[in-house]
Amino acid sequence: MTAFFDILIGGVFHAAVLFLVAAGLQLVFGVQKIVNLACGSFYALGAYFGISSVNWAIAAGLPPVSFLPVLVASGVLLGVIGPFIEALLRTVYHRDEAFQLLLTFALVLMFQDVLRFFWGANPQQLGNLSMVYGKIAIGAVQVPTYNVLVILASVLIAVGIGAFLQRTRFGRILRATAENREMSEALGVNVRRIYASVFTLGTVLGTVGGALVVPTAAASLDIPVELVVEAFAVVVIGGLGSMRGALAGALIVGLMRAAAISFYAELEILAIYLVVIVVLIARPAGLFGKPVE
Amino acid sequence: MIWLRERAVLVSAVILAVVVLAAIPRLAEPYYITLVLPAFAYGIALLGFNLLFGYTGLLSFGHALFVAIGAYGAAVLSSKLGVRSFELIVLIAGLAAVTAAIPVALLAVRYVRIFFGILTLAFGMLFHSFLFKFYDITGGDTGIRVLRPSLFGNDFKELDKIAFMIGPFYYYCLALLVVLGLVMWRIVHSPFGLHLAAIRENPRKAQYLGVRVRLFRFIAFLISAFYCAVGGAILAINTGQADPELAYWTHSGELVFMTVLGGFANFFGPLVGAFSFIFLKSELMGATQYWRFFLGVTLVLIVVLFPRGLIGLAQDLWSKARRR
Amino acid sequence: MSALIETIGIGKAYGDFVALQDVSLSIAEGELVSIVGPNGAGKTTFVNVITGLLKPTAGVVRFKGSDIAGIGPVMLAKRGMARAFQLVHIFPAMTVAETIAVAVLSQTGKSLRLFASVKSDEALRSRVREVAAIFGLEGKLEAESRLLSQGEKKLLDIASAFALAPEVILLDEPTSGVSSADKHSIMKTLIDAGERAGVKAIILVEHDMDLVAEYSSRIVALQGGKVLADRPPAEFFGDPEIVAAVVGKLVGKLARKD
Repeated sequence: MTAFFDILIGGVFHAAVLFLVAAGLQLVFGVQKIVNLACGSFYALGAYFGISSVNWAIAAGLPPVSFLPVLVASGVLLGVIGPFIEALLRTVYHRDEAFQLLLTFALVLMFQDVLRFFWGANPQQLGNLSMVYGKIAIGAVQVPTYNVLVILASVLIAVGIGAFLQRTRFGRILRATAENREMSEALGVNVRRIYASVFTLGTVLGTVGGALVVPTAAASLDIPVELVVEAFAVVVIGGLGSMRGALAGALIVGLMRAAAISFYAELEILAIYLVVIVVLIARPAGLFGKPVE
Repeated sequence: MIWLRERAVLVSAVILAVVVLAAIPRLAEPYYITLVLPAFAYGIALLGFNLLFGYTGLLSFGHALFVAIGAYGAAVLSSKLGVRSFELIVLIAGLAAVTAAIPVALLAVRYVRIFFGILTLAFGMLFHSFLFKFYDITGGDTGIRVLRPSLFGNDFKELDKIAFMIGPFYYYCLALLVVLGLVMWRIVHSPFGLHLAAIRENPRKAQYLGVRVRLFRFIAFLISAFYCAVGGAILAINTGQADPELAYWTHSGELVFMTVLGGFANFFGPLVGAFSFIFLKSELMGATQYWRFFLGVTLVLIVVLFPRGLIGLAQDLWSKARRR
Repeated sequence: MSALIETIGIGKAYGDFVALQDVSLSIAEGELVSIVGPNGAGKTTFVNVITGLLKPTAGVVRFKGSDIAGIGPVMLAKRGMARAFQLVHIFPAMTVAETIAVAVLSQTGKSLRLFASVKSDEALRSRVREVAAIFGLEGKLEAESRLLSQGEKKLLDIASAFALAPEVILLDEPTSGVSSADKHSIMKTLIDAGERAGVKAIILVEHDMDLVAEYSSRIVALQGGKVLADRPPAEFFGDPEIVAAVVGKLVGKLARKD
């Protein structure tokens, strides 16, 4: 029973983090129709910067319990790079999708060495810092409180984004622009600012996701390219452009991964791609996406 | 674009290039010569890739899969099955790639644009994880050794590895590149090639003109897989090893990078791209440990400023010069 | 003479909404049938049904005797029906000659030739020149389609449809966007092209009642998904009830004459 629960919590934790990255991807794709191959790079940046931030904070005398807010803050702070990268992407908005993909691929290449430059080639981690929050009892099992906190944070963010998109004026404008850009422009919407905001928000979701994961996993130079495939699996399963899809896809991928690791490690990552392919055959729009050609 | 008019100039330029390439082993240092072999390999692979990308308009982010099949095909055939004939290796590896391409293509040609890209990426990574996880068969992350093949039955036992690579094998690959290039030229200038362009330009209109869009995309996909595998086999023989990173999605990304660098709207673009990329990468790697960053910058420059690649740039400079 | 196109009791419903109801008509060789009706009358739906794009929810649609419900554009073209749309469709980066060549090759079944040379195919080149000449495009054979004027693009679009040597061609508002002065000359070109290409019947979807009156051998008026009238022009415009019901809603000199 405990094994089952471990898998469940582990899977949901992984899903929570994946959701953040996928939500970022979905937002950017939904509004700007760009698939950001560099989402993994943002995530890794968040992870590395998060580690550095926590180390600085502790060296500056902050108590270890404060590391969660420090991580979140460091992730949000990284959002400053959003507008700059969006400005670069702006040069290819009107061009073929291939160029947009290639530009984000160029970012992947560049980020690899940016990360290497600032943090070196060796993986970094925070050790057992997450244990500072101790364990919490859920039913008959003991789970690290940190994991639960992250899951809760992710749920809060999911609800927040949902409310933001549905209830606020800005959210409505966002959805309108996603639906029909020309119409929005004709109605006086400053599409440029929308695009910059959306991209920055997408970036922040990625960096915060990366920051939140570091207490439990190391930050390494493999992450930027590995995460992309998982994130894509999530958005394909959930449906490109859909927030609900990001949630559903993240849960499926997260739980599958946790289950696979426990039962048949070899199959772990294979299983995910197989599911992607099966979903694309059976329902190319994913679970919540719009039907496609 | 498809029917080139300056035919004489073109033919002379090609002959000149072949002559220069043939003379390289006599003139250059072994180091540079060993770079030309991967350039041949990628040149062949990209000729195939661009049939799908430049001519048919489908961007695959998983074609490294077929390069890897070519490499592993060469490895398995030479070191595990004792097949040493290069001709057989190229043929069998190519056919293996085509066979693997059939299910992928059947599925992928039903989609376009980003879905096509993601689906091909997924298949590429599926193969990568397969190579990684089933290490009993595939050698895991070390891969499989590739043994020197024999060319037209000749072992060239008297030559050591380097002499073989910059000698007979070099000329063989150059000839292979020329032959496969001619074949591809015929293909793109055939009715089949014309229809591919129509499908790229306006698939719906092509349908109304009776063109079976999916069938054509499917065939183009298979041809591209074959070419990529041949390139992969040459790569593996050159390095002596087939390793799983050949199938990683970033390697697929490099294929696209090279094609766009050279110019995807031109027949020779991929070839120019292959050579330029190999040399650029080599120079950068020698100059700094942050070569990936500069490669990324190069790609940004190409995408933003020179989307028609080096050939497009050359064409622009040529027309400017003619106008004076 | 047996009907080229035959629809019997065609119905198309989307849930509760009925787009077409019991539409029956037949089109025979030598006819130029105009389909008219206000927007929302079901013209587009009907046209999509008889061109195999939509499967009817009721009834049968046949072309040359065989059922063509939902066969799709590719099979439609192969069976001998071509369609040109109101919105101009071209292959932007391909030349006029190449565009027409695609249609010719497709029709002669040579599409899958992988190693034959397009340039040295004399039969192909002369046929392409022939088709281009009918539409006045022979001087622009080597021009890239995207560089043509809007009118030339339209001609090219229609030319490529005719290049399929179809037995039936369906033209969706071929003169829309064209100045009134040119409309008649375009219609004459189309009919002439049809004869030279061996087209046996032309179906026209048109809003301009002058053109409809002048060139049709028969007019089919749709309203609310049903056939309101199916008569030759003289009878059609001679019947005051039909005129009142249909023409009153449409644009044209005839409407204003009343």
